[in-house]
Amino acid sequence: MTPALEIVGLSKTFGEKTAVDHVDLTVPQGSFYGLVGQNGAGKTTTLSMAVGLLRPDAGSARIFGADVWSAPSRALSLVGVLPDGMAMPERLTGREVLTYLGLLRGLPKEVVAERAEELLSVLELDAAERTLVIEYSTGMRKKIGLAVALLHAPRLLVLDEPFEAVDPVSAATIKTILRGFVAGGGSIVLSSHVMALVEQLCDHVGVIDAGRVAAAGTLEEVRGERSLEDTFVDLVGAPGAGAKALSWLSR
Amino acid sequence: MTASVTPSAATSLTTSLTMAGMKLAVLRNSMSGQKSGSIVIGGVLGLVLAGGTLFAAFRTGDLLAAAYAIWMLGWIFGPVFSGGGDETLRPEYFTLLGIPPRRLASGLLVGAFVGIAPVISLLALAGLAVFGVRQSPAAVVVALPAMLLQLAVFVLLSRVAVAVLGLALRSRVGAVGAGLVNGAILAALGQGWVFAVALGQAGGITPEASAALRYLPSGWGLAAVEAAVAGSWGRAALTLGALAVLVALLLAAWAALLTRRAGSARASARGRRPITASTASGAVVAKELRVWSRDLVRTHQLTFALAYGVFFAAAPLLLGVHGMLPWAGPIFVLMAAAMSANLYGADGTALWLTLVAPGAADVRGRQQAWLLVVGPVAVAVTLAFSAAVGGFEPAVLALTAALLGGGAGIVPLISVYALVPGTDPHRRGGNPLRVSEDDGAMTGLAYAVLALVALTGAPAALAAWLYGWAGVAVGVVTGALSFWGFGLLAQRRLHSHGPDLLQTMRTGKRPAAATGPGRWMSLDHLPKREQIITVICWSIGAVPLFPQGIVAGVLKAGGTENRSWFLALHLPDGLQWPTIAFMVLLGLGLYGLGLWIPYRRRT
Ligand SMILES: Nc1ncnc2c1ncn2[C@@H]1O[C@H](COP(=O)(O)OP(=O)(O)OP(=O)(O)O)[C@@H](O)[C@H]1O
Ligand SMILES: [Mg+2]
Repeated sequence: MTPALEIVGLSKTFGEKTAVDHVDLTVPQGSFYGLVGQNGAGKTTTLSMAVGLLRPDAGSARIFGADVWSAPSRALSLVGVLPDGMAMPERLTGREVLTYLGLLRGLPKEVVAERAEELLSVLELDAAERTLVIEYSTGMRKKIGLAVALLHAPRLLVLDEPFEAVDPVSAATIKTILRGFVAGGGSIVLSSHVMALVEQLCDHVGVIDAGRVAAAGTLEEVRGERSLEDTFVDLVGAPGAGAKALSWLSR
Repeated sequence: MTASVTPSAATSLTTSLTMAGMKLAVLRNSMSGQKSGSIVIGGVLGLVLAGGTLFAAFRTGDLLAAAYAIWMLGWIFGPVFSGGGDETLRPEYFTLLGIPPRRLASGLLVGAFVGIAPVISLLALAGLAVFGVRQSPAAVVVALPAMLLQLAVFVLLSRVAVAVLGLALRSRVGAVGAGLVNGAILAALGQGWVFAVALGQAGGITPEASAALRYLPSGWGLAAVEAAVAGSWGRAALTLGALAVLVALLLAAWAALLTRRAGSARASARGRRPITASTASGAVVAKELRVWSRDLVRTHQLTFALAYGVFFAAAPLLLGVHGMLPWAGPIFVLMAAAMSANLYGADGTALWLTLVAPGAADVRGRQQAWLLVVGPVAVAVTLAFSAAVGGFEPAVLALTAALLGGGAGIVPLISVYALVPGTDPHRRGGNPLRVSEDDGAMTGLAYAVLALVALTGAPAALAAWLYGWAGVAVGVVTGALSFWGFGLLAQRRLHSHGPDLLQTMRTGKRPAAATGPGRWMSLDHLPKREQIITVICWSIGAVPLFPQGIVAGVLKAGGTENRSWFLALHLPDGLQWPTIAFMVLLGLGLYGLGLWIPYRRRT
């Protein structure tokens, strides 16, 4: 079976700094894949290159066999993306954003209206019917981003830190939606810093450290007998290195 | 202990010195960065103007007063067009520090004096000392404090104007009002010759105008020096005192305005109509139209363009010349194009949505929306004013059609080829005019669009001049071709370079140009001297080519009586055509040089 997402040898250098260094990852169809790594490890850079938002220096990415860079139309119609920290059409309301993007993706008008209605009410954005996106809170921005990613019913979701700044109630809703999506045959890649969340949701894990894959595979393969957190700290850093207290803070 | 008496004075001083230090550090960094080019060019232009002002100081007081009035207008209106003025130190940086507004304002004021513009203005204000000492050496005692106070007035007026405009841009009425006022004043400056002629007819400047120039805040310093020269020291002291009070009042006003600056421009609360489009490009049009109507900065830009066009074309009415009135339409189109030059940059990283839906015709939608916003107004103005002056001129109609198409084509094309990364709308600070970190490049882009769009009108103008009404057909055809062709180029570029544009937008920097074989050198990589020459060529090439060359030619062919500032039309008959030809060649030569320098250096 072709993998939902196959990343081969992706590399990216910014000036002197190698942000991503020959990363290979395979996301099987139907899997819920968690990508973890420290701040600045290269998760956002890798995911951006995988969905065509950033031009890689080397390597390739295929979505259900379609190359993102040589056959973008097919590849991109199969994927829903939630990038980190990008702008939206800021002067539209949530519903208008969804209508605009649904039409942009070529969906029929009625389908768009129906799905927008449902997404807004499930994500509890319908209360802010007249609010423009520019006035949204950080969590609301994440939620409208997620709605945008889901709107065209993609087969693969690529989500960069989808739970950041989202309140617990909404987080529970989002988890339910994502689990349902995987149960229905979809595949998900998400990046996160929260190990507990990855352990709870994902069946596959990739650990990125300093632009390289430190470990990848099913959750069991990667963490073995221990918790993911211990494995992670083991893989990416000397234990206790960052744990020095700031003496001048205590009185 | 003395410390108990002076802590606030001491902290004030520290705050001020810290801010001056910060500003210096930033300036030093930007001198070595991408912005150094615009700083050098601005500095050179400023020095030329300051030299002119000093020259005026050797002539009459009236001339000097007029020069200072222009400096004041420059300080007030400059920031409106260069992205909100000098914002090296932003009030937002200091909100969390809990500095009281008055002290924050004084600190920022000290920071505001550190820079190139204040130094150059001070040089121009040295004209006060020159003017005084020439007539009575003792006047220097008044002239020196007058210089400093006058500079403080300029700097503060600039800050207060930006703050007031920032507040105005929070409501639709304010945005429209500000656009009208700014457009009218700038048009009046552009048509300065009309007023000069109107005044000159009376044989020199009238006593009323002479007095008025000294009642303006820009004239108080001169008034004090003149009083000192005349020996009325009491009046000199009083005038200086008034200047000091004005500085204090402006400072207080600025402090008050700073506290109200928190938060960015509100979107307008107009009724939300549901999107009824049913196709992809229809959706883009619907989105763009909503942005045009909801973003008050764009409202301001459009109103400005309209006011500029109307007032510019209406100014000659003062002299009883009404032939220019219908030109309000084409001028509005040009200004509107220049104002929307950074079409893609203004949306920031929202470009990613276009990249993940590659099939959609984003460029076409934006073009249609631009036409829908600018077109009806332009056509209405052109037709109404033509009817009002009682005659439809082929050239006006031809240019309106050609420029509309040209604008709709050039604007997206330039904005994908020379993208100036904007700040994402939700990350902008309290100054709504500040949409990009690189205001020099924004201004340059606006001029480039102005020149290129004007160029798309050239065939139609030429045809109208040679063949009359056939020119209108040519205008419609070239307009449609520009719309289609430039749009196609823009779309190709967006598809092939989308991720690179997004990266530019994200980091605020152009990616290092891949200088493959046969590629032209990008401006950033030229040696500094050639950089400056190239930019000067591009920025002034339009003057001889269009107004002094093509437009003058069109007017002459039309047998106009209105010579306005067209040099050629003031010359003896036999020299007029040669001068026009020379101007056109000069303009083309400047553009050619501007192209040739980077071309020669291609790798
Ligand atoms: N445009 C850029 N220019 C220069 N360096 C960059 C750029 N984008 C990312 N980097 C660098 O690349 C590295 C990887 O960044 P990336 O954003 O991919 O990390 P991340 O794993 O997503 O981090 P976080 O968990 O904090 O989101 C970082 O060291 C960052 O400094
Ligand atoms: Mg990240």
